[in-house]
Amino acid sequence: MSVAWIGSQPVSLMDAIRNAAKLLASSRCPVFTLDTDVHGTRSAIALAERLRGAYDHRMGEVLAREIALYSNSGGMFTTPGEARRRSGLIVLVGEIPAAHHDLLQAWAASQPDLGDRGKRTWFHIHGEAGVTKLARQLKAVALGAEDLSLSGALAVLRAELQGRQAGVSLANTAQLRKALARSRFPVFVFSGDSGDAPSLAMLQGLVADLNKTGRASSVFLPADDDAWGAALTSLWMTGFPPRTGFSNSLPSYDPVRWDVQRMIRDKEADLHVWVSARGCETPPKGGKVTVICLSCTEAPAAGAAVTIAVGKAGVDHDGVAYSSRVGTFHAIAATAPSLLPSVCSIVQQLAGALPGRKALPC
Amino acid sequence: MLIRLVGGDVIDPINGDTSQRDVWIKDGLLVDPPSGEGANETHDVSGCIVMAGAIDIHSHIGGGNVNTARLLLPEQHAAHLPRPANTPLSNAGWSTFQTGCLYAQMGFTTVVEPAMAPYTALHTHLELADIPIIDKAALAILGNDDFTLSLLRNGKSSAMLDDYVAWVVGSTRALGVKVINAGAAAAFKENVRSFSLDDTVPEYGVSSRKIVKSLQASVTRLGIPHPLHVHANNLGIAGSADTAAETIAATEGVPLHLAHLQFYGYGTEGKRKFSSEAARLAELVNANPDVSIDIGQVMFGQTVTISSDVMRQFSAIGNASPKKTVIMDGDGNGGGGIVPYRYKQDYYGSLQWAVGLELFLLINDPWRVYFTTDHPNGAPFTAYPELFELLMSSDARDAKSTELNATALGLTTLGSVRREYTLEEIAIMTRAAPARLLGLKDRGHLGAGAIADVAVYRKGRDIAKMFREAALVFKNGDLVVKNGKVTHYRWGKALRLNPPPDKAMIKRMKDYHEERYGLSLDWFTFPESAIQRPEPFAEVSCNS
Repeated sequence: MSVAWIGSQPVSLMDAIRNAAKLLASSRCPVFTLDTDVHGTRSAIALAERLRGAYDHRMGEVLAREIALYSNSGGMFTTPGEARRRSGLIVLVGEIPAAHHDLLQAWAASQPDLGDRGKRTWFHIHGEAGVTKLARQLKAVALGAEDLSLSGALAVLRAELQGRQAGVSLANTAQLRKALARSRFPVFVFSGDSGDAPSLAMLQGLVADLNKTGRASSVFLPADDDAWGAALTSLWMTGFPPRTGFSNSLPSYDPVRWDVQRMIRDKEADLHVWVSARGCETPPKGGKVTVICLSCTEAPAAGAAVTIAVGKAGVDHDGVAYSSRVGTFHAIAATAPSLLPSVCSIVQQLAGALPGRKALPC
Repeated sequence: MLIRLVGGDVIDPINGDTSQRDVWIKDGLLVDPPSGEGANETHDVSGCIVMAGAIDIHSHIGGGNVNTARLLLPEQHAAHLPRPANTPLSNAGWSTFQTGCLYAQMGFTTVVEPAMAPYTALHTHLELADIPIIDKAALAILGNDDFTLSLLRNGKSSAMLDDYVAWVVGSTRALGVKVINAGAAAAFKENVRSFSLDDTVPEYGVSSRKIVKSLQASVTRLGIPHPLHVHANNLGIAGSADTAAETIAATEGVPLHLAHLQFYGYGTEGKRKFSSEAARLAELVNANPDVSIDIGQVMFGQTVTISSDVMRQFSAIGNASPKKTVIMDGDGNGGGGIVPYRYKQDYYGSLQWAVGLELFLLINDPWRVYFTTDHPNGAPFTAYPELFELLMSSDARDAKSTELNATALGLTTLGSVRREYTLEEIAIMTRAAPARLLGLKDRGHLGAGAIADVAVYRKGRDIAKMFREAALVFKNGDLVVKNGKVTHYRWGKALRLNPPPDKAMIKRMKDYHEERYGLSLDWFTFPESAIQRPEPFAEVSCNS
């Protein structure tokens, strides 16, 4: 089985590495799109730094929104584990990504053993999109109003809970008020997909209000766990989250300037390194930049100058990934170990094939 | 490889008086002068002082809270830019890579992250592993988790507590145990807003004192070299000196380390009800040989406070500058708060600055007082050179004092204290004593057999400059810094204890996590291979 291609032609891994390294070395502005585990991310960022490129995540758009919540205003948070064990009142905010539904169903099947002991109560605050399927499954009490966006609904709820006048009212606010009075540790569950930046900021304002006299917190369930893991990895490596570039050899963070898709569209980038070792996706079509594709694929990526097949962390090889189950990183063992190389090992080989042959720090 | 450092003034209090002698390094270790063997590499260090590599026992350099602080402040930390003034950590590199380089440039070769939440141990170690050059270690936080509190509430045996502590230390690969405002994080989840030594945690009925005393005893019984590392109650508030005094009195003949005592050096005198109690605390420390302390010195400028004392950090939200914070109610011992803060040269800042220096200067025994700014809480660690100067020069203190709030300084003893630290005392405080406190027999001195962690400083009148840019630094015998610049990258290890886990406790932990979190224990532990560096850990022995 082939694991490396130049164009659509199968080649040896070594030839593919050599060819890719030539492209990297001659690029004026290489950009990286990442979607891999912690160690793949570490190595790719190190290579981007070496090449004075820029990097983003495949889920860069929603990730940027989640990062902005923290970097613009911060907030009050708790972990999934603590919410499960302590909170008898869970308020779902907007749409929660399907990847987290099992987690929330597991909470529904358990009772808190600390704080609010006893049966868990669920609410769901929604905007125009209406009540979600998950909320119906969890028998959540709906909080919303016709024609109100999620941020509008949150603003109205916040005002009503503070005893302020609002032009409209939400359904079931009185019921929520009673539940809040009963609960010792109510928790609002949200994701970057739940709403826009003002919605998330409004939610944190609401949580802050509740903490003036009582306790409340929020659980942040990333729109994509691996993307969040990449953000955390990027933070310790460079001091900045993704959408960071090294144009003057020092990292700089700018969610607009280093938006890799924008850079490709605007022809600022001349080489795109596409790393997809999880979803095994191929780079989006239509760009005019040269593409190096590192993906868990069995075929060359259409339009890619070089394609190298890599293994999946947790399947082909061991790895480390972020998980909302624990709210932090956890080690993942290979479930079907194979000879497919990890992203990390390929990136290190690429660095070794560059002029100077200097090893990466990761 | 045989390396010879020729002609330096060797300051090595463990191995004798300061003298001019050669230092020999062979294969990463310090050796006696070899007979009949020539050096492969010779460095003329005449006009320089030679010390062991420095050890920082309390600096928040990696882990969940540190990373959240990076996330909160991307626009301002400017770690990698040409140092714009007046931004948080503008003078401290804030990536893992910068952290290692900046420490090494100052001659530090071992640094301890003092607050590792057990459930985020993998994250902490991933970060520590990406800090180049230096060795690292982490202290595991205990004392706010349901398991510990339940053991104490239910009157379980001290042996069971020991088994649990040993399991946590071993599975998280920690070098010791820290307790942070014991019981307060658990109490805060029950909406308790202040918490003192004899207050009890709701639902558990266990006092903060009981938690501290139980963990202190357990750490001692287990032979963990570093005494229980205590972040006491009531940090930062006027009157906190009383809490510190009670905690010091609670040692009762058993060793205990009090972290960042400066933040507890406050009384309630004066018009602003905020005064210095440093002299009283210094006397208490001087009179109690079981206590060691580190200072947590405040230096002026922008920083960010990072603490797992979530109750304290929540109460400080109003002081955030800029106005954004993260408060995290974590699992058990995790969580905390990130509150950016600017230390101004006003009344409060001046008093805090003076309290730290008073403690440094009034505590007599340099073996029991440790040099820290509680990075980044009191100041970024890159402020160390200026702090060395303040300790070694009363003129420097006087000069700085003229810029500060005279009313605040008038309520302290600082102006009357003329003590100046000697280089020998600096070597004790930053090398020999930390090594002893942490149980690191292989470092902190320049005797034969020690690892070759060596810092060479060019003597000069400018003390800060001397300590900011080491002339040479060797880590395990590798020359890593020359003239204040990193010349060679290498990867240090994380120092850890490895107490054997009790099988029954492992079974209990598996059951506990499956029942309470619905997850197998594997989610909370990790194999060494997860770090993906060769031999990322080095084992330190427990006391027998």
